[in-house]
Amino acid sequence: MKRILMLFSLLLFTGSLVIAQTVQISGTVTSSEDGLPVPGVSVIVKGTTIGALTGVDGKYILAVPQNSQALVFSFIGFRTFEAPIQGKNSIDVTLETDLFKVDEVVVVAYGTQQKRDITGAISTVSGKDISLMPVQSFDQALQGKAAGVNITMPNGVLNNPPVIRVRGFNSISSSSSPLIVVDGVPIFTGNLSGTNSFLNSLSDINPADIESMEILKDASATAIYGSRAASGVILITTKRGAAGNTKVTYDGYAGWTQPYNLFDVMNADQYIEHKNLARANNPASGLGFDFFVPTDANGNRIDTKWSDYVYQTGFQQNHAISISGATKNTSYYLSVGYTDQEGMVQKNSYNRKNARLNIDQKVNKYISISANISYSNGYSKAPNTGASFATAGAARLAFVLAPNLGPYALDGSGKYNINGSAIGNMGQPVANYGYYNPVAIFDLNKFTTENDRLLATLSATIEPFKGLTFKTVYGLDNVSIEDNLFQTGVTGDSYASNGLAWNQFNRPNRWTWTNTLNYNVTLSEKFNLGALAGIEEQFTSGKSWIGQKTNVNDVFFTEYHGSWTTAGMGTGGFYENYFLSYFGRLNFNFDRKYYFEVTGRRDGFSGLSEGNKFGNFGGASVMWNISKESFAESLNSIVSDLRLKASYGRVGNMSGINSYASLFLYNSGVYGAVPSWNFNQAGNPELQWEASSKFDLGLSFALLKDRIQADINWYYNNVDDLILNVPQSPSKGIPNNTVPANMGTMYNTGFEFTVTSYNITGPKLNWTTSLNLSTLKNEVTELAPGVTEIIGTTGGLEQTNRTLVGLPIGNIWAVETRGVDPATGRRIFVNAAGQEILYSHEAANKWTNRSDGSTASAITLAKDGKASGSPLPTLFGGIDNNLTYGNFDASLNLTYSMGFYVYNGSKAGLRDQRWWNNSVEVYENAWKTAGQVTNIPKPVMNDNVSNGSAFAISENVEKGNFLKVRSFSAGYSFRNFPEITGIERIRVYGQLFNAFVFTKYTGSDPEVSTNGDTNLTPGIDRNSAPQAITYTLGINVTF
Amino acid sequence: MKNTYKISLILFLTLLVGACSKDDLTLAPQTALGEPNAFDTKERIVGQVNGLYASVKNGGFLGGRYYVYNDIREENFIPKSTNLVTNYATWNHTVIGSTNEVQNLWGFVYASVNAINLFLTGLDANYASGKLATVGVSDAEYNQYKGEALALRGICYFSLLQLYAQPYNKDNGASPGLPLRLLAEKTAANNDLARSSVAETYAQILSDLNAAEPLLATNNGSALLNVTRLHKNSVAAYKTRVYLHMSNWASVKSEAAKIVSATAPFTAPSGVAFRLNTTFAGIWATPYTSTESVFSMPFTSTNLPGTQNGLAHYHHPSSSESYFLNKEPGTAYAMLVAADARKVLFQTGTVSGNTEYFVGKWQNYTVQADYAPVIRYAEVLLNYAEAIAKSDGLTQQAVDLLNAVRTRSFPAGTYTLASFADVSAFLTAVMNERSMEFLGEGIRNMDILRTYQTIPGKQSIPAVPTTSKSYIWPIPDSEISTNKLMTVN
Repeated sequence: MKRILMLFSLLLFTGSLVIAQTVQISGTVTSSEDGLPVPGVSVIVKGTTIGALTGVDGKYILAVPQNSQALVFSFIGFRTFEAPIQGKNSIDVTLETDLFKVDEVVVVAYGTQQKRDITGAISTVSGKDISLMPVQSFDQALQGKAAGVNITMPNGVLNNPPVIRVRGFNSISSSSSPLIVVDGVPIFTGNLSGTNSFLNSLSDINPADIESMEILKDASATAIYGSRAASGVILITTKRGAAGNTKVTYDGYAGWTQPYNLFDVMNADQYIEHKNLARANNPASGLGFDFFVPTDANGNRIDTKWSDYVYQTGFQQNHAISISGATKNTSYYLSVGYTDQEGMVQKNSYNRKNARLNIDQKVNKYISISANISYSNGYSKAPNTGASFATAGAARLAFVLAPNLGPYALDGSGKYNINGSAIGNMGQPVANYGYYNPVAIFDLNKFTTENDRLLATLSATIEPFKGLTFKTVYGLDNVSIEDNLFQTGVTGDSYASNGLAWNQFNRPNRWTWTNTLNYNVTLSEKFNLGALAGIEEQFTSGKSWIGQKTNVNDVFFTEYHGSWTTAGMGTGGFYENYFLSYFGRLNFNFDRKYYFEVTGRRDGFSGLSEGNKFGNFGGASVMWNISKESFAESLNSIVSDLRLKASYGRVGNMSGINSYASLFLYNSGVYGAVPSWNFNQAGNPELQWEASSKFDLGLSFALLKDRIQADINWYYNNVDDLILNVPQSPSKGIPNNTVPANMGTMYNTGFEFTVTSYNITGPKLNWTTSLNLSTLKNEVTELAPGVTEIIGTTGGLEQTNRTLVGLPIGNIWAVETRGVDPATGRRIFVNAAGQEILYSHEAANKWTNRSDGSTASAITLAKDGKASGSPLPTLFGGIDNNLTYGNFDASLNLTYSMGFYVYNGSKAGLRDQRWWNNSVEVYENAWKTAGQVTNIPKPVMNDNVSNGSAFAISENVEKGNFLKVRSFSAGYSFRNFPEITGIERIRVYGQLFNAFVFTKYTGSDPEVSTNGDTNLTPGIDRNSAPQAITYTLGINVTF
Repeated sequence: MKNTYKISLILFLTLLVGACSKDDLTLAPQTALGEPNAFDTKERIVGQVNGLYASVKNGGFLGGRYYVYNDIREENFIPKSTNLVTNYATWNHTVIGSTNEVQNLWGFVYASVNAINLFLTGLDANYASGKLATVGVSDAEYNQYKGEALALRGICYFSLLQLYAQPYNKDNGASPGLPLRLLAEKTAANNDLARSSVAETYAQILSDLNAAEPLLATNNGSALLNVTRLHKNSVAAYKTRVYLHMSNWASVKSEAAKIVSATAPFTAPSGVAFRLNTTFAGIWATPYTSTESVFSMPFTSTNLPGTQNGLAHYHHPSSSESYFLNKEPGTAYAMLVAADARKVLFQTGTVSGNTEYFVGKWQNYTVQADYAPVIRYAEVLLNYAEAIAKSDGLTQQAVDLLNAVRTRSFPAGTYTLASFADVSAFLTAVMNERSMEFLGEGIRNMDILRTYQTIPGKQSIPAVPTTSKSYIWPIPDSEISTNKLMTVN
């Protein structure tokens, strides 16, 4: 952005040089930051319009009237400097970086504003902060970068979309993810894959192409997006060419990624010792004989570390080349990128090829046109890493499988050890293990997703007279996705059908056409007015084709296109929806001291019923720049900037309204071979947008010549027209047992602090620290009448969360347990009445009162469960430290989250007393003798209750507080290359990404979301793949 | 000149902006049908009738799992897998109100009930408005559609009652039965509805079946339609089952008499001519539409019961989650002699190194498209035999009816009157025959409950006495939490 403004200032000043009775003064302008010359600095004789610009070498020559007093050097990004002339002919100046960057331009909705004029709550993250991170999409690198923005990577599987929450959870039934707008056009978000591989829609944008990301948080900033603004808006601006010589850059890295904090599970000897003890404790286990360690044909004992067959060290490489520049009327940015990444799970990879052309052309004095065209091809491949309860889920297989089973048959034939769909039992007393052989299904199954995407905007700007601009922008987001799923008939999920091939071709397409009229004027010297009016149309369609085949004719065929006996019914999807919106913004300020802004939007949406199609949204904000008041000027040396802001607005959320939500629908199927119509949607004609009121108070200040800059915001966001899928009595037989209705309220409130401190700004040494901290309090204040709670289910099987009035959304719900009774070794459960109940799996009377041994009624989650902790972090943020010393640079990024709970469901599995393998702590600490104090009960074969598999127990609910070294990098830059090479700079660096986590959480990582992007079931860690650490070595070359 | 240029430019732009259309704000779905158009053509109305059948054919209900739930509660089956998803908790009697099958079956059946209620409401409204006549639906057809819907509702309530309520014979139906949903529900209203008693629920079932019978066709015109859609005789056949559960012997007899000739070979004297298939194995072979199949759920390779739903998934030796036969004394396996065609049909497989036997009625494991039988003529004959014995004592007709079913598969096993010491011995023989004949068809658990006997144990699983909480399933938690008038079992 700096460079674009440089271009404008060039244009502005070129025409205004004046020649008079003069003396020649010349000199060089350099930067205090790096000592390098600064081109484009305006040098003006004080009190005149006489001036010049520095050239590319930072030099200027100026003819100065003889009695001139001083020269004023100014340039965006630097503090303006006044140099007395005092008869000198040569004046060299070192400009200090303007830390506050008051003139910096910030991208806002439908335009740009100068940073000093922003009245809303907007966080800006520079593209260069994230472009070198070894991630698949930019959102993965936003963790800890902006106050109020909480980002959770669900697990370490490549290209899994992170969960993004801007200022808390803003919906219950709809999405709480922000709207993403790329160069003015709202794009598709979420996981585009239809198979087990992940394809984050945002991964189609090469992070290296991003100039800046603006996160709009309060209603003042977002209300102009109306019905899509409730969960915040992220504006992505891609890079454009800048004036000067053609600039060529190359960025590349190679890296290695590995899982960390894998579970420490029992080896074969420990396993058989422990399980045989458990078997002895349960004579009715149904197992006819003891477990043993089998030996293969070569006499080797089977002792399998299954995680070795599931995880790997993945190799990654990434390359990006850009060419950019600008001439008088044309600027261009051209880039190509290639990334090829292997994951830490075997057979998991992601590959992207992309190209972008951003071009701006001035046609004449009034008209300019621009185009952004980006094409990308992404290819994702992954095994079934399925969290929760899939018997094919790789992460689960890595620790659930018994170590005395092996991947290959004992006879040395090299055949897989399989028994039908499941792993073979190798003679063990368990007839059928049920779980799959990961080696076999990794080798034989295939899940891939490939997409092609054209993301393009064409725009024309017409400025018939100064101050008035008309802009028309046509944006296109055309995605084509091909999902290929192949499951072998040899074993695993499709054993029964003797193989399955399922292909889907999916085309989510969207066009957006925006027309805006913008008028900016300074009415008197000090009264600045801006007005914007616009109309926007958006048409979205999604059409998909599915083909399915089963019963493969020969194991040779591994593609849908091969030869199969049974062709299944090809289903697919079809939807269309349309938005028609009118919007406007009016802002004015007096002397850049008192600001006022009001925005509004009227949205019409095809998915709502006649009469409810349109909704009105809007916001208003005020700002007072106190530091501009005369009474504050005396304090300027200490407090260099001080502002107060307030905003209020009403915005909507449409993500829960599908294209036909208001209708009662029948879908068609077959009954045997004849067509049928079935009632399948109870729509709601009364349905309207979800709406929320957002209130924001802000205080910004800068201290010590802007060396310390801080923003403090308090927000209160009341979501009061939630669309709830109101649970209906199942006996009413309404499809999905829910009816959507506008009911219920919830609020989010919190403080946000952002502090940036320029600790040291020397010519050689620079050290900057940025810290952000956010608090969040979320509370559901009302659900639908008659609805006291909403149950959240993990993996369709386990009730893990409940949302109740008076508590934060998605509370973890479990039965309270109080460790293990030392006398009997039984788990102590606490029933609803507060009585301690013991569980003995092998006994006829399983549940007994701890007090007197009498029979007690069975503990159930429905009856005895209670709120066991909120999974929402109440305090979170990030700390960035950036240090440069000469040619060395280093940066350390930390993120942290506190005040929340995680349901460690994996621990329930790791302690389960069926044949499942257990963690070593179970081997070491399980109760064995009377009086032993431990938290792991007496092992009883087949006991799935005592450790929390049958229902969630508080033993497995843990605090999640963590501090994470998100990235650490160190680099060295080489400069001063011979001119003939054309090389300006080469930087080499090493980086650790997701390096360490400091936590007392006993699972793999408290940053986890088994249920992905979810409102009702956050904070669940149930058989999720772990996170990965990535080491990279990279090089950046600038020509 | 310059101003003109500017003004015309702005005008042009204004036009451009105004060009967007509001028509697109009423986009209609292309893959689903809006309610106002559901009765627009006769084909669509027939499609809705088929939709009602398709709804009860859900793999979680009459398409598969319903029979499994009933079978595995009793003593004949041992699971290969302990997977809770394939009903292990039903097998070992540990289901609770949140168990999947307990919640799922309830939901599927009531979804069918509501689909039926919606259809009946729409059908009557369109009949009254004259629209049906306009689209070419005759009065006879209107009656038939209505009869099919009513009969299916009766079947739904009867099926649900067997797992979620105490048997009628416990206390003549005084126990809590089901909430009787008879209104079309499509809004958020009416969540709360109290349970009717078991007797009241039976009254509703009979009211539906009795109302349906005269409305239905005598013959649906083809073997396939006679097996897959209801007609007069199939409703009468189903009524023998309902009355049997109520110990209303007179009515079992009068319903059976409509469709069973007085003497062997037994066949229906009018309407669709039910009779036993010559061979036992033939019932289970394509095209599954023998005259013995009173009412079955059809499948095709493109219309399957779904993952872990098909009967083959639960009975085929290749399935890792199937159930093999318990060989303990008193089980069907133990009672069947080797020569019996029903034993001959068993499939074998190896489990933990032992040879085990599996029900062989659904052998197409790879494509699980074998039909699922809701009721067979063999059951009508045995229902009849039992009712005669109960009301008239041991008669030749009763013995003949039992023999008809028994000797088809085991010709050497013919009974005579002299085979039985008393009526009770005869009734035991009928019970045993039912256990052997209907293995895998979900009949035995219903028989145990209707006679209010202890559910026998198996392996390490103890027997479940009538006093046990586990004797019937609990009411799903989701119903308790949303329907404030609902009570637990």
